[in-house]
Amino acid sequence: MIKLDRRNFIKGAGAGGASCALATMLPGTLAALESAPLKGVGKEVASICEMCSTRCPISARVVNGKNVFITGNKAAKPFGGKVCARGGAGHSLLYDPQRIVSPLKRVGERGEGKWAEISWDEAYQTIAKKLNEIKRDHGAESVAFSSKSGSLSGHLFHLGKAFGSPNHFTHASTCPGGYVVAAKAMFGTKVKRDLGNSKYIINFGHNLYEGINMSETRAMMDAQMEKGTKLVVFEPRFSIVADKADEWFAIKPGTDVSVALALCHVLIEDGLYDKEFIERYVEGFDEFAKEVKAYTPEWAAAISDVPAADIRRIAHEYASHAPHAVVDFGHRATFTTEEFDMRRALFAANVLIGNIERKGGLYLGKKAKTYNKFAGETVAPILGKPGVEGMPKPTAKRIDQVDEQYAMMWSSGGIYQTILDATLEAKPYQLKAWVMSRTNPMQTMTDRARVVETLKKLDLVVCCDVYISETAAYADIILPESTYLERDEEIADKSGKNPAYYVRQRVVETIGQTKPSWQIFKELGEQMGLGQFFPWQSMETLQMLQLNRDTSELRRIKEQGYVSYGKPLMLREPEMVSAFAQTYSNAKPVDEDGTYGSQLKFKTPSGKIELSSKKVEGMAPGRGVIKYREVDLKQDDELYFIQGKVAIHTNGATHNVPMLANLMSDNAIWVHPLTAGKLGISAGDAIRITSSVGSEEGTALVTPGIRQDTVFAYMGFGSKNKELVRATGKGVHCGNLLPHKTAPVCGMNIHTTGVKLAKI
Amino acid sequence: MSKRLIMIHDENKCIGCQACNIACRSENGTPDEVTRLQVRVEGPFGDAPNLHFKYNRVSCQQCEDAPCVKVCPTGAAYVGEDGLVSIKAEKCVGCMYCVAACPYKVRFMNPETKVADKCNFCKETRLAKGELPACVTACPTDALIFGDANDPSSEVVKILNTKPSYQDKTHLGTKPRLYRIPTKRGGSSHEQYLGRYGAI
Ligand code: SF4
Ligand code: SF4
Ligand code: SF4
Ligand code: SF4
Repeated sequence: MIKLDRRNFIKGAGAGGASCALATMLPGTLAALESAPLKGVGKEVASICEMCSTRCPISARVVNGKNVFITGNKAAKPFGGKVCARGGAGHSLLYDPQRIVSPLKRVGERGEGKWAEISWDEAYQTIAKKLNEIKRDHGAESVAFSSKSGSLSGHLFHLGKAFGSPNHFTHASTCPGGYVVAAKAMFGTKVKRDLGNSKYIINFGHNLYEGINMSETRAMMDAQMEKGTKLVVFEPRFSIVADKADEWFAIKPGTDVSVALALCHVLIEDGLYDKEFIERYVEGFDEFAKEVKAYTPEWAAAISDVPAADIRRIAHEYASHAPHAVVDFGHRATFTTEEFDMRRALFAANVLIGNIERKGGLYLGKKAKTYNKFAGETVAPILGKPGVEGMPKPTAKRIDQVDEQYAMMWSSGGIYQTILDATLEAKPYQLKAWVMSRTNPMQTMTDRARVVETLKKLDLVVCCDVYISETAAYADIILPESTYLERDEEIADKSGKNPAYYVRQRVVETIGQTKPSWQIFKELGEQMGLGQFFPWQSMETLQMLQLNRDTSELRRIKEQGYVSYGKPLMLREPEMVSAFAQTYSNAKPVDEDGTYGSQLKFKTPSGKIELSSKKVEGMAPGRGVIKYREVDLKQDDELYFIQGKVAIHTNGATHNVPMLANLMSDNAIWVHPLTAGKLGISAGDAIRITSSVGSEEGTALVTPGIRQDTVFAYMGFGSKNKELVRATGKGVHCGNLLPHKTAPVCGMNIHTTGVKLAKI
Repeated sequence: MSKRLIMIHDENKCIGCQACNIACRSENGTPDEVTRLQVRVEGPFGDAPNLHFKYNRVSCQQCEDAPCVKVCPTGAAYVGEDGLVSIKAEKCVGCMYCVAACPYKVRFMNPETKVADKCNFCKETRLAKGELPACVTACPTDALIFGDANDPSSEVVKILNTKPSYQDKTHLGTKPRLYRIPTKRGGSSHEQYLGRYGAI
């Protein structure tokens, strides 16, 4: 469990004197500056959190010139005016002496940890010269650009495109890409879940109570506590969400797809599915039903260890709450190579009960354009995009564009890990440089040793970050980005059932020489001779452009921080549709049944939900119909190794933030008492965990909250670069234990493998 | 009638996320080495698959009959007009009698001010400005509820009237003002947890 023990209560975990001394020695860090009092820009500023990718609307104020107090923005109802521990600790990052506040250049070997402060001019000149040389000698495509998504990726990828490279990547294939691609294949677009109105929720280890996504976490708790919603959780580990569930099944790792398919089997065989819905909206039902015939609960029980009678009962309970019931399609962690069909099977269980565009089910996001069309008037402004004339069209293909089966991923962030193949094996051609922004593949990709090899082999590595992250430790040049509390950014879309916008605004004046990423990549572009592609002068110009020069609307969004337009709309929910039609006199005419059911179209080739897909069959022969395939995750004498999120940290990003490191700096390895007993391991023992690619030392946490054949660790710990003083060497580095494996169709990086444990 | 400020920690809603801990530190400037508040996720207890965690809020209980006040030789530990157990910094001599006397082990010496310290329901930092305590404001799942138990229309009264609740170590006669709503899974018997604070 989360280790909050005596040590943390009495003494900060390893953040004592020695680490501070090392930090002061590091050039370019905040510690090297005189500590000046914080200057706030306003009394209370509405902005957007960036401690994780949920990006909650926040409200922040400077207290006594030395602290920032951050809460949620109360104007954003779905977020309840709340922040999690990470969000509340944002000021601890802002004022961390180990944060970098000056551009740095490497003066030793890559990864050796020798740095010198340089000016922005020198940084830009060095990078521009090198990148232009590489372009001249090897083509622009030999440079890869990757970034955490958001305003920053927009600006970095704009630079990459202006430069002429097709190779830009988000972290999607190491995190949320699987369900995005599955949704694209079935619905033609992403879908959202309406947990708050759900009466019955089936959850396959989507740990919303540790991997906090504020609006969804709150919605699910509200449903459970105030509406009596039943929650069923299938997860190999007793997580917080398992604890809060009405029923928890310790499913065998990687077998979720069998249970999902068996649920579908029962829904179809027992006639519990919504025939009218299928008739009207679904393509490929017959092929799916034929395939699913063999997937009985008994069959799934033998694979997953979930009793057949329970699967059958749960399917019936679920259907009895239809359409206000949902099978949560999950989030991070690609359990097996069958990720694509696992996510499709989860979506299928929703489609069968016809919960699409119904309360408590799944729905399509209603952005301004769609919403205004339904309303017959401009309820919400449609955001303008700064168009730049004459952007070069790259002639080369993307490096992940080798196999047609991945086509849906190319525009969804790309297959991030192909950067390793392209660099190390020139597959499909040789990469020469990698420019990154706020991404930490050393933690989030698999096979860390291969990431190191890649970074060592490249001619140029540039990292833009707030820390010398484990990846930035291998850069040639580090560009210090301002933290989110010092940045202004574009208006961002936060639409759900109705349109909503919000905006990140600086809360304090910039500390040190850091810059926001829009400025960094514009100035670098200018140095590279690409100035014509960056015509905007400031963030304000960009914001004005977005709002078509509507200054009063811009002011309103800035003042309130979060503005929601209209009222929630789900197309097949009569109450909502009638309220909508009454509000807008020019609204589209409502169908006879009181819904907008006739307007529900999908951006798939057939215009329907494709339960089975000819398009997918064309891309990946044999994969058009959802199917069970056996997977190979571990050897017989090994244990499954799985990972997950903790509420106190964000993946590869927050482990050095002082307040958060102080709460939790280590990840113990969860082992079942019987397994531990057989291996002679006792609670608190130092143990070695070894996989086919790596070996780590950690501490055993002996607990009945895990299957006997499985071990678990929270991800993101065990950093190996000495610059991240509070995080280095603490705990198990998960990426170092996971082999490099990619799932078909969705291109996801696999997160389950086999390991052995031994007492040290 | 005077106020009787109390706090309720709903262990069903609590997810052990520590947002309250961080909010408290941020608002009250608690040094790294110490804390006014932790929510310990203890367990799991029981036999698989019927396991459950205990979400244990560890902070000052705002005892109505406070041992820490009784032992303080200088009157630094005192009960204010608001009924809250607080500390007058200028009177504290650092004898640590109160730290030893607190049966809940939640008082500590603040290493920066060298004065005894603990949760005071954010008396100066928040209540004085008409705001709710920082931990209550932050809690993502609304597991913390704060209010006046003497006001029959308050949310805290409504909750105490409708949900089972317990207080910790009531047998000591300290009359804590921190109420807890036990998890359904763990049953309403909190007895099994008594004495767990000994772990601190
Ligand atoms: S969930 Fe927490 S870290 Fe993530 S955006 Fe919200 S407050 Fe910030
Ligand atoms: S913030 Fe709320 S949910 Fe989180 S640990 Fe504290 S009381 Fe529990
Ligand atoms: S919990 Fe301890 S510190 Fe708080 S009032 Fe009671 S005895 Fe005093
Ligand atoms: S009431 Fe205030 S001082 Fe007490 S734990 Fe909550 S935030 Fe901290």
